[in-house]
Amino acid sequence: MADGRDHDRDRALDHQNPDRDRERWDDGLIARRASERAAATVAVGGDVRPGGGDLPEEDTLPPLGGSYGGPLRTRLDALHELVGLSRTRVESEALAEAGRVLDEAAARQRLSSRHTVIAIAGATGSGKSTLFNALAGVPVSETGLRRPTTSAPIALSWSEGAAGLLDRLAVPSRLRRRPLAGGAADTELQGLVLIDLPDHDSAVTAHRDQVDRVLGLVDAVIWVVDPEKYADAALHERYLRPLAGHAEVTFVVLNQIDRLGTEAADLVLDDLRRLLDEDGMALGEHGEPGATVLSVSALTGEGVSELREMVAGFVQERTAPERRLAADVDAAAARLRPAYLADGRPGLDERARDAFTDRLAAAVGAQAAGEAAERVWRRGAIRACGTPWLRLYRWYERLRAHGSTDPRLTSPVEEELTARQRVEQAVRAVADEASRGLPAPWAQAVREAATRGAEGLPEALDELTVTIGDPAARPPRPAWWPAAVLAQVVMTFLQIFGAVWLVGQIVGVVEPGLLPPVLVMLGGIVGGPLVEWACEGAVKGPARRYGQEAERRLREAAAACGRARVLDPVAAELMRYREVREQYATVAGARASARIVGGLRSGTSRLGATRAGVRGR
Amino acid sequence: MVTLDERPQLIDALSALRDRVAAVRLPLPLPDTPRARQTRAELLAQLDDYLVPRLKDPDAPLLAVVGGSTGAGKSTLVNSLVGRRVSESGVLRPTTRTPVLVCHPEDHHWFAGMRVLPQLTRVWLPQADEDHPADEATPEENALRVETAASVPRGLALLDAPDIDSLVVENRLLAAELICAADIWVMVTTASRYADAVPWHLLRTAKEYDATLVTVLDRVPHQVIGEVSRQFEALLDKAGLGDVPRFTVPELPESADGGSGLLPDSAVAALRGWLAHRAEDPAARQQAADRTATGVIDSLDARLPELAAAVAAQYAAAGRLGGAVETAYGEQGKRVREQLGRGAVLAGDARTRWRGYPRDSTADELLDALTESLAALLHCAVSAAEERVRDAWRREPAADALGPLRTGGDRDTGERIGVEVRRWRRVLEELAEEEVRGVERPSTSRTAAPEADTVAALLAAALLGGRRTRAAGERLAELLGAQAALRLRDKGGELVLSYVDRVLHAERDRRLAPLEALDVTPEPQAELIAALSVLQKEK
Repeated sequence: MADGRDHDRDRALDHQNPDRDRERWDDGLIARRASERAAATVAVGGDVRPGGGDLPEEDTLPPLGGSYGGPLRTRLDALHELVGLSRTRVESEALAEAGRVLDEAAARQRLSSRHTVIAIAGATGSGKSTLFNALAGVPVSETGLRRPTTSAPIALSWSEGAAGLLDRLAVPSRLRRRPLAGGAADTELQGLVLIDLPDHDSAVTAHRDQVDRVLGLVDAVIWVVDPEKYADAALHERYLRPLAGHAEVTFVVLNQIDRLGTEAADLVLDDLRRLLDEDGMALGEHGEPGATVLSVSALTGEGVSELREMVAGFVQERTAPERRLAADVDAAAARLRPAYLADGRPGLDERARDAFTDRLAAAVGAQAAGEAAERVWRRGAIRACGTPWLRLYRWYERLRAHGSTDPRLTSPVEEELTARQRVEQAVRAVADEASRGLPAPWAQAVREAATRGAEGLPEALDELTVTIGDPAARPPRPAWWPAAVLAQVVMTFLQIFGAVWLVGQIVGVVEPGLLPPVLVMLGGIVGGPLVEWACEGAVKGPARRYGQEAERRLREAAAACGRARVLDPVAAELMRYREVREQYATVAGARASARIVGGLRSGTSRLGATRAGVRGR
Repeated sequence: MVTLDERPQLIDALSALRDRVAAVRLPLPLPDTPRARQTRAELLAQLDDYLVPRLKDPDAPLLAVVGGSTGAGKSTLVNSLVGRRVSESGVLRPTTRTPVLVCHPEDHHWFAGMRVLPQLTRVWLPQADEDHPADEATPEENALRVETAASVPRGLALLDAPDIDSLVVENRLLAAELICAADIWVMVTTASRYADAVPWHLLRTAKEYDATLVTVLDRVPHQVIGEVSRQFEALLDKAGLGDVPRFTVPELPESADGGSGLLPDSAVAALRGWLAHRAEDPAARQQAADRTATGVIDSLDARLPELAAAVAAQYAAAGRLGGAVETAYGEQGKRVREQLGRGAVLAGDARTRWRGYPRDSTADELLDALTESLAALLHCAVSAAEERVRDAWRREPAADALGPLRTGGDRDTGERIGVEVRRWRRVLEELAEEEVRGVERPSTSRTAAPEADTVAALLAAALLGGRRTRAAGERLAELLGAQAALRLRDKGGELVLSYVDRVLHAERDRRLAPLEALDVTPEPQAELIAALSVLQKEK
């Protein structure tokens, strides 16, 4: 639940909406969409809810309980949505259970809401049938010494109109009974349908199967235990512990107190409470919601009227079906919990994204490409601004060497320019990072999304390397470049001019005068390298900028490619998970946390009481 | 038929078997492991607590263990049989938390020592008076209270066990263990319980072991005593236990009301008589003890193979786990070789450096880039292998015992690989240096003596670049001469492969280490079966 609240706070932060905390799920984008979609699925999904065509039921049938349309409705819808959203992700077993809860909820909703179905369950010989008869006022169910006595559920309804409910329980019509005078005498029990169940612990396992089946369908259960069997592992481990969440629709009745003295009966009742508490079942004391525990003797009638009153009050409230469904949803939510919640905050943070980008950049070789571009550019610049003589010499050198050390001239067309292993590793790392803190099915989905996205990634990056990352592409030139080239040309001209002048003097065309032409020529000879040297210095900065620019471009292109192919699908999957988790938070509801706190509180007080009881003994 | 005369060979065979069973370890959590662990514990308990001591001391008193469901009135029954309150009884369940053994004072020495039930510490309580037994002091774990009472016949000891269906799991296990130590099983059930499933499990087990069994139908209301016992008899008949002695104890206020007293002598006289007869009459005693012992030894025939099968399953699971690791790393090893052949290392940075070499990048840069790229290749291979292992192990429940699995982007792995690859680089550089030093310069060569790092870089490029770096090989041959270059490349190639193998093997061994630490071997299975066949010969 902490996660749910946490999440809520995040959303509040996201939207900066102060109202968010008060109205939890009604105004968020996802919640709104969810409820719309749920409504749509409910209307369409006839396969999930048979007879869903005559929805909404609220119109044709009186609503179950006052608040049935409220929180429970929302939770059921959210559960429906949850099942739909995660059918392909979460393994089917846990979902099937949730689907069953939905089906039962729909089935129960269609049936009479004026009736409350209560089953009497217990071990062999605890006196279920005797208590049943005591409540009925007439011997309806056969009691006996032969163990096990009752072998099929018997129904007793105090008012008409429960046929649908009994059909659902598959109680044959010969086992449907009515109390004296059709039950009209007991006005306070109107609406009660009582079911006497077979035992759950006899060697006849068919009985247990029947009990298990019916317990899933009734609105409330009266567990009958006796002083001999109240601590049976079969009862506590098989039924009461798993059904601890159903405490509000549970009565635990210690029968046969006539076999004990008063003091002993109190001790046993206390011990029973302690055991229930250890089972995790909240006890309904001090006005807190929880299981009702009381002692009766069906044989002597002691305590039966009290039980009758409690049952009557319970039946008249007419909230049992709703509470039972709520408890079912709680149980389903608890079972689904590992599939939807895990410790840790899922999601891709900035660091993980940056790490992914870095890895992709390394895969395409952005850094080396940048440096190469810088060097190529600088070389080109220096060559362009160098003295022609030097250029001539270099050209000659290259010609002589056949370019054997220049791989550009010899290398064949290459494939796999991008480091495949680095891309693979980058995708794996980002998938691991994204799936950390996710429940297993969703982690798997995230990994799959990443792997699928990575399929064409290396090829796409190859393309990028060719189009963007080629260091030999013609680089832009700085504005001062023509001036430098001009200066170099001037220097060369000066040399030539000086030389021509000198030659002219020697030939005698021009007046002799040694100094000026020599100075001009010397100026050209010194000036050429000087210009080249100056250019070399001036080119450093722009070259580095150019290299960095090339690296950045390649890096960004690679990052964009990775984002589109891997990060976005992963983020979409995470978004989907978040959506589902919000649905789950709705399903789990706010009630659950309150219940846990309450249960603990009553638990500690209970334990104290028990200790006191033990000391007293 | 086992006779309870001294049979040293049989005892030796059983002791050997016991040691084999004790040596069985079931560390992997397979679906049937809990059951196998329980089988092992039960076997040990039965051998230690019952069979070996019984065969060693045929004259030791018979141990009758009173077992049954919670609230069946076991303690009351024991108290009544003894005639004194030795075991606490009460209405709160479970009542008996510390088992109580009652015997004749002269038999005390048999039970005071650690002859039977050696894992339970003996507790003595100050002698309590008749009406107010001393309050049970702090209930100790694994304790056994030994009481003496002159009313118990010599040669018999009664043990009040905890509930077989207790809510407290330890109690349940203890009860099963105690029942396993019994010569005579006294199964107590009640009028409202005789059809419960749990006691019937116990009865069926008794039948399976062919133990000497007595049933007591307790707390039967007077008015229905006939009908209930008839029905119980019918159920026993149906289960093939019709010949089991049955005793019926009526529900009396004494047994119900807070344990205010003992049952009247008449209620338990028949049972006491039967038990006393077993203890005192040599023939009956022999038969009772023999039957249980034989039954237990015979049951070993079925239970030991089961344990052996569990051991085999453990070994098979360990094999599967290890096999998954071997397969994953083997595949990745193959893939790495294939990638090396294709020149996959020469990609990204390394490729750019190579293209720029020697004009735009230095030998050092090229070597750096190649080293890094090789490390990335290996890291990727290891991660992929780990992923495979993780997927394979996720399907194996046994993998839970091996701790959490690493995820792909593990930084430590990367560092370890980096260290290993840098070491490779150093060795490669040394190799190149050596070669350069030893190279004979042909006097006609127009090039200067090659530099070591140039040779190292070219060598690395030639080794890792596949076909793309044929130029590097040519250049190397130019620098060093064809012979020397070829030699160098051969050496270098071996070096690369050996380091790749080293890295992959090291990682594989790290992954296998926890599995190997569990030391799951097939030997215990064979040893168990061998010990069993020795026992069968001795029988």
